[in-house]
Amino acid sequence: MTLTITGLSKFYGSFQALKEVDLEIGDDEFVCLLGPSGCGKTTLLRVVAGLEGYQSGTLRFGDRDLSTIGAQDRGFGIVFQSYSLFPHLTVRQNVGYGLKIRKTAPAEIARQVEHLLKTVHLEDYADRYPWQLSGGQQQRVAIARALAVEPSLLLLDEPLSALDARVRAELRGEIRDMQRRLRVPTIMVTHDQEEALTMADRVVCMNAGRIEQIGSPEEIYSRPATRFVADFVGSSTLLTAEQAARLGVEGAAAAGSRLFALRPEDVTIRLDEQGPGRIRNVTFLGNVNRVKVGIEGLELLAETGRLPGLVEGAAAAVEILPGAGVWVQP
Amino acid sequence: MTAVPAVTHGVRVPGSERLFRQVVLWVPLAGIALFFLYPLAIIVVRSLTQRDGSIGFGNYTEFLSLGYLWTVIGNSLVMSGITAALCVGLGLVMAYAMSRTRMPLKWLVSLALALPLLAPSLVQALGLIFMFGRNGLISKFTGIELQVYGLPGLVMANTIYALPQAVMILMVALRQADRRQYDAALMLGASPWRRFMDVTLPGLRFGLLSAAFVCFSVTITDFGNAAVIGGGYPVLASEIYSQVVGQMNFNMGAVVGILLLIPTLLAFYLEKIAAQRHTMAGEGALPVEPNRWWPRDVPLWGFSYLGTAFIVAVMGIVVYASFVQLWPYNLGFTLKNYNINLQGGYASLWTTIYAALITAVLGTLMLFAIVLAERNLSRTKAKLLYLLAIVPVGVPGLVLGLSYVLSFNTRAMFPGILYGTILLIALCNFYHYHSQGFLTMITGMRNVPRPLEETVASLGGGVGAQLRDAVVPVMMPTLVSVFFFLFMRGMVTLSAVIFLITSKLSVAAVTVLRLDQTGRSTQAAAFSVIIMVIVLAAMGVMRAALWWQARRARMVAAGG
Repeated sequence: MTLTITGLSKFYGSFQALKEVDLEIGDDEFVCLLGPSGCGKTTLLRVVAGLEGYQSGTLRFGDRDLSTIGAQDRGFGIVFQSYSLFPHLTVRQNVGYGLKIRKTAPAEIARQVEHLLKTVHLEDYADRYPWQLSGGQQQRVAIARALAVEPSLLLLDEPLSALDARVRAELRGEIRDMQRRLRVPTIMVTHDQEEALTMADRVVCMNAGRIEQIGSPEEIYSRPATRFVADFVGSSTLLTAEQAARLGVEGAAAAGSRLFALRPEDVTIRLDEQGPGRIRNVTFLGNVNRVKVGIEGLELLAETGRLPGLVEGAAAAVEILPGAGVWVQP
Repeated sequence: MTAVPAVTHGVRVPGSERLFRQVVLWVPLAGIALFFLYPLAIIVVRSLTQRDGSIGFGNYTEFLSLGYLWTVIGNSLVMSGITAALCVGLGLVMAYAMSRTRMPLKWLVSLALALPLLAPSLVQALGLIFMFGRNGLISKFTGIELQVYGLPGLVMANTIYALPQAVMILMVALRQADRRQYDAALMLGASPWRRFMDVTLPGLRFGLLSAAFVCFSVTITDFGNAAVIGGGYPVLASEIYSQVVGQMNFNMGAVVGILLLIPTLLAFYLEKIAAQRHTMAGEGALPVEPNRWWPRDVPLWGFSYLGTAFIVAVMGIVVYASFVQLWPYNLGFTLKNYNINLQGGYASLWTTIYAALITAVLGTLMLFAIVLAERNLSRTKAKLLYLLAIVPVGVPGLVLGLSYVLSFNTRAMFPGILYGTILLIALCNFYHYHSQGFLTMITGMRNVPRPLEETVASLGGGVGAQLRDAVVPVMMPTLVSVFFFLFMRGMVTLSAVIFLITSKLSVAAVTVLRLDQTGRSTQAAAFSVIIMVIVLAAMGVMRAALWWQARRARMVAAGG
């Protein structure tokens, strides 16, 4: 079934947290809401869950209008950053909780719980209590609990943010696999662009209560539509039309007020004593170096591998790859 | 700017839950209105009702023009002023020793400090009389007769009574300090004394002020010690009693009641400010580790142990006296003091237990309801509710009790029907301690994670399931604490219920007072011991319940 959001607005008092949001989420699609804190992504998720209301617009799931259906009756599953397991219940009881609320027969609950625990690789932990598990294990239980009621939509509110880097990377893959297997439409909120880009079928980039851009991870990264997206997802050098013209970028004359966003990996540098560029700053990132290079009175971000003699003040030739960069809305 | 649409969609709350939310909000609010705001309004009206029935400040001018009443006011101010100064001084010493030094036997000191809170606020005076009075142990063994009745005795008794509260406030204030401030001062070359003057004291400003005002107001409104050891030194608390019970001059009593509101409201206001300062400074502070430094520790510990010994002696002598044949002439052991056949015997004890149980059950339910309601209110409304719930702490028990007499001792079918019932005593106790219970409850509620309730909701659980599975399991220790807090206060409180006593209905603390006033001081001691034992037992049960709860989770875990 499809979740259809049209013209949705939400206010807290006179503060507008969501501004005319339009979004459609199809069958078995994995959508990430990406944006900085306070951009409204969690609010949007909570509105979809039925934990918060909205003032205008429509919210439909399949042919059901959700405006009169409360959280209890929507049949969606939700997973929070804080795990939020019942501290007094075992793993087994936590996972079976939703089924118990639905008055499922105990034997059936046991069967389903067993199956889900296998899915999240926790079959040996069924009788433990939440505090005896690591953060990653707790979050797996929370996911299993949300999946147990066979939700028609799965909502994940920054589920990986509280975990350490290794576990996070591991769970990313697991969640994605699980979602593909169960074919349950999923919305995940995150402020981590890497997470969004690696996991999502589509990324919804949000800023100040508005959707800035919707697209596949590839689109979002290589063809950002607005200055915000270009800046927030990955890094870019943003140039005005006049500045871009100085570097000989095509289309600068017709750009108007648009900005030219240039990814660092599209700018290559070569150390050259006669070169017009000057290395201003080098940041070592492990596999590559992020370099700030001054040229034509501008400062560009560039990326390069290991280069002997790459130090501040060195002269360099700078080349922008052909076809690189996009014009974005300011 | 777009206009804000008024209608909210998408959060349909089931009818049963809506009803539940209304009930948990309006029932406690109705309780506060009927059993706190209404009596308080009545006392204001009565203080303004003049002899001829007209409204005006006649009672006030009449009262203030009575020469001897100025003496009473002066007495009260002097007594509570000295007491507050003593409590803050001693309290600072003990709080500092407990939280900043490695004093041995800290547990003993804190136990001793808990003792005065376990008994009605007249047992301190009783103990002092057994020790220093005309028939006291001191005069018997040394021949020196101290004049303990009056100001000195009153100050000592009330200091013992209020000291634990001062120590608690100051310990909390000391805990808020940030170690990094001390480290910074140390690195700048400040001596220990300078660090105390420049870091510790400024940080304690509000704590000291608040402790002083709390001690001042609890002692100026305390009735029990004044009645037992006040002697020929009349204070406002005893005056209000004689105006109302002695001379049936209700309107004048109301005037004294209003006057007694002033210091308590001031203390309440200061405490609120202090609390705000704390929350501003306390976030992310590193606790200061206790350390050792002999020149400071030896005198601090000396004073703390001395204070502890004194409290233990005064409370202990009451226990001792309760087992004595004929104080102080025949110190042989006997149990006959416990055979109380005057003043209604133990009937009042059962009444008190019954009333305290009602207070605890009803109070826990009401307070739980009100914090549940608070959670679903908008910010402004929640703030208003919060304020309403903590205002009762600004009204001393004596004034609340008086306001109950004025409001409920009427001919009218309702609310007059409540007068002379155990229920009214229980209600009076509950609203007397409403604020403290509420604060504990709301702190507990803040620990209930919202996502847990939201999880239940999105899994299809209604309000019942949310309460059962998300709220109550987390709140259990808080509910237990509030229940026993209300029960224990209900067992020992005197000043609030002294006015609600009728010829047929009395409470334990009043029986102790009457026994003492009729010269049966060893029986009064015995009765006090029984009260203390019950309160101690309640405390033990509470500890056990909390311990058992904490352990159960661990046990199941170890087994699984």
